[in-house]
Order: sequence, then structure tokens, then C-alpha cells
Amino acid sequence: MRVKSFIWRLLGFGVAGILLMVLLFVTSEQEMHHNNAFIRRYPHHPIKKLFDFNLGYNSYYLAGFENDRLYLGNHTAPLHLLEVNLKTKDTTHIKIGLESKDIPFQSITVNVVPPYFFVMDGTVPCILRGYTRDWEARDWMKGEVYFTNAKAVDSVSIFIKTISSSNRQAILGLLQYSNGFNTYLYPELLEKQMDGIFDVDGLLTMSPDFKSLGYSYYYRNEFMILDADLKSIQRMKTIDTVSMAQITLSKISKTGEVKMTSPPLIINRTAAQFDAFMLIHSNRLGKYEQSEMLEDAFIIDVYNWEKERYEFSFYLYHFDTGKLKELKVFESYLVALSGEKLSVNQIKSSVFK
Amino acid sequence: MKVSINIPAKLVAIVTLAYSVLFIYAAIQKLIEVEQFRIQLGQSPILTTYADYIMYALPLGELVLGFTIFSHKFKRQVLYVSYSLMVMFTTYIILILNFSDYIPCSCGGVLEKLGWTEHIVFNLVFIIIAIIGLWCLDYMDTNKQSIIL
Repeated sequence: MRVKSFIWRLLGFGVAGILLMVLLFVTSEQEMHHNNAFIRRYPHHPIKKLFDFNLGYNSYYLAGFENDRLYLGNHTAPLHLLEVNLKTKDTTHIKIGLESKDIPFQSITVNVVPPYFFVMDGTVPCILRGYTRDWEARDWMKGEVYFTNAKAVDSVSIFIKTISSSNRQAILGLLQYSNGFNTYLYPELLEKQMDGIFDVDGLLTMSPDFKSLGYSYYYRNEFMILDADLKSIQRMKTIDTVSMAQITLSKISKTGEVKMTSPPLIINRTAAQFDAFMLIHSNRLGKYEQSEMLEDAFIIDVYNWEKERYEFSFYLYHFDTGKLKELKVFESYLVALSGEKLSVNQIKSSVFK
Repeated sequence: MKVSINIPAKLVAIVTLAYSVLFIYAAIQKLIEVEQFRIQLGQSPILTTYADYIMYALPLGELVLGFTIFSHKFKRQVLYVSYSLMVMFTTYIILILNFSDYIPCSCGGVLEKLGWTEHIVFNLVFIIIAIIGLWCLDYMDTNKQSIIL
């Protein structure tokens, strides 16, 4: 009798211990991935460095990708493209030809959407389009709509950010061509907190298959994912805790200008989208993190928007002086720009699943 | 007959001492490097969101257990709780090895240098000695009763 009750008591206390631990684990994981209050998690080696490439100039930006070939545009030499073969590291210099020579360009961006490429300037406004096989840009859109940022989605549609002419607010929209140009604007996408221009500022992102678009706010802990028609929208919070933009703005001057009067608190610095993932670079420290890391590495947070959860974070170690300017994923390559260098990394598919 | 009463009493004394040393050592270790312990817990893939509570609750609990285990009145209760705690630690390791997002470099706190398997063996040894201690306490109680009777 005594032995029996002794064993029962041992079992009872044992099972209680196991259950308590499992309960703590399950609830902690739930919090971690769905209601995270800024705790990062760093699994081992989600990316592997392949190589750094010295571009020689700090004015390059990422323009596109096709079959192992990465295209870089250059802000100071706008009709020049650098092609870097990520397998062989061979480089080719490309000169873009323009059909119209007399366009008063001010800020050109080149966007490669194989087999097309676009030469865009939202201040003119105009967009030229051509094929990557000959790099000859032909007149396509002129004078339809001004835009501040643009990303080509496919051969006939461009994801744009513009300023509404009626209420001077920033708006996301689509410029599409079918028997003439149409502009579709969706003012409800960007949610105003202060002035509707600065506070909603952010980065347009695009998945490498051009199937889903995104927008990551600079000054608040939020990003959104959109389908290629801007019809379905999913908003998601990041693990950061700043939900209201922390910027200070000057009064409107006589010339109608508004300025930021102090350096803004940047929450999402740059972002990259691929598959169901959104990668966001932030240099804000979470809980249980050592500040020394910021001197050695950029922190990248990974979210899965299909599962609506924070996955994990990883360090992208500094590869040149200066900030992380751009980050993109093409196939299994994670490419990043900082200073005068391009960093090429391999994504581990076993971690990104 | 006399010898067989003495052996359980000695075993209980050994178990008491072993647990007391383990808990007090582990608690002091954690409290000395409390910031380190906090970061390790925060990076642990299992109790992440409870790190702030556990960082104090665990060493304090260990200290309380490590001292009260000497009390004759509470020895039995403390041993049951200690046994439960060791089962929890073991469960923690098994969860980390099998179900967590990734396996951290160190489990932090106690006996960092042990590998995961050694850690489980170490815990099992302590679970077993707790059972021995509890069994001896029961044995001594029955014997006392039979003597009185």
C-alpha cells in the first residue's frame, strides 16, 4: 500500500513538472511569434557570406536581376548600368540608349523586369521602356502622372507613390497601360498620423517574382503586403514598439514647404521581400541585446506575412563603412549595398522555411 | 535492525547535502552574473518571454530550497519540489533538443561546460537521488511507527 502511494506521488510531481514546463514553452512561443514585445531571436547562420564586391563608387543602387546577373544602376551616371554575374563575378558595363534625347531628366531610376527594363523619372514625368537584349529604351509614358517612387510590376504596370494634387497627401497607386494609360490611386492604403506626407514615408518593396508588393513605413512599426492589383492588403506590426511616428515638423512656410525639424526616429530602415518573407533592417536594440553588436553588424528581422508571425533575426556583418543602403533577395542570393561595396550572401533554405 | 535504520538516515543526509550544495551553488552563480543570465534566458528559445521573471524567481527559489532542505519539518516537501524542479530542467533540455526553433550555444547558469547529454544524465542522477531520499524518509517513518507500536 505504502509503495503504491509513494509511486503515485512521484508520478504526480513528475507529471506536474513536465506539464508546467511544456505550458511555459507553448505560451512563451505563442507570445514570441505573435505578440512579440521586441525580443529578437538569433538562430545560427541563416545566411552564408559568398563574397564582397568593390564597386568603386557609392552611387550604385540595385536595379534588377536576371539569370544570375545582378544589375546595378548609378545615380550619378544615370544611363550606365553595371552587370555583375553572381556566379562568375564577371562584370559588364551597359550603356542604355534613349529614343528621345531631349527629355529634361532630373532623377532617373532604372528598373529591370526581365525581359523588359524601365527608365523612369517621376519629376518629368516620363517612363521609357525597352528590352534587356538590346538596352534601347523607347518612349512609353509621358506626362500622365508625377510620382516620387516607382517600381515596375510587369510589362504594363508600375507601382507608384505620388502626392495627391487635391489634398497634398502621399498616395500609393498603379499606373497601367491597356489601350492607353490609366492611373489607379488608393488613398486608404497609407494611414495618416500627422501630416500624411512625412509620417507615412516608407519604402516600396517588390517580391522577386513580381507577384506581391509591399510598403514598409520608415517611422512606425508597421509594413503592408499588397497583391499586384493593390486590391488585397495585409498590414503587419513589427516587433518594435513604436507605433506612432516620432518626427517633428516645421510650420508651413510662405513657399508651402514643411521640413523635419529634428532627426526622425527611424524604425524600419530598409526592407526586402521574397516568397512569404519580409526582411526589415532596423538598428534599434530589442530586449536582452548587447549594444556593441551595432558596431559590427546590421540587424535584419525576418517576418512571415503568410503566417503573420515574426520568425527570427540575423546579423549582416558590416562589409564597408556607412549605413546599409539597400537589401534584396533574388533566388537564393541576399544582396546588400553599403558604402562602395556590394555584399553577396547565400540564403539557407532550411532556415527560411 | 539497528544498522538498517541508520543507513536510510545517512542516505537522507547525503541527499540533503547534495541538493543543498547544488541549489546554493547554482543560485549564487546566477546572481553573480545576473545580466549574463538574463541575456542567456532572453536568447533561450523556450522561456524567452518569461526571462524577466525567471531571472530572479529561479535563483531565489533555489536559495530557499537549498536552505529549507535542512529543516526536518519541511524536508519531505522540499525534496518533492526539488524532484519536480529537476524533472522540469530535464523537460527543458528535451524541449530544446527536439521542439525549439534552434538550439542555443549554452543553456546558461549551472554547469555550463556540460554537453546536452551529460546534462540530462546529470539531471537524471539528481532525480534518482531525490527518489532515494524520499523513499528513505518514508522507510524511516514506517520504522519509527513500528518501533513505537
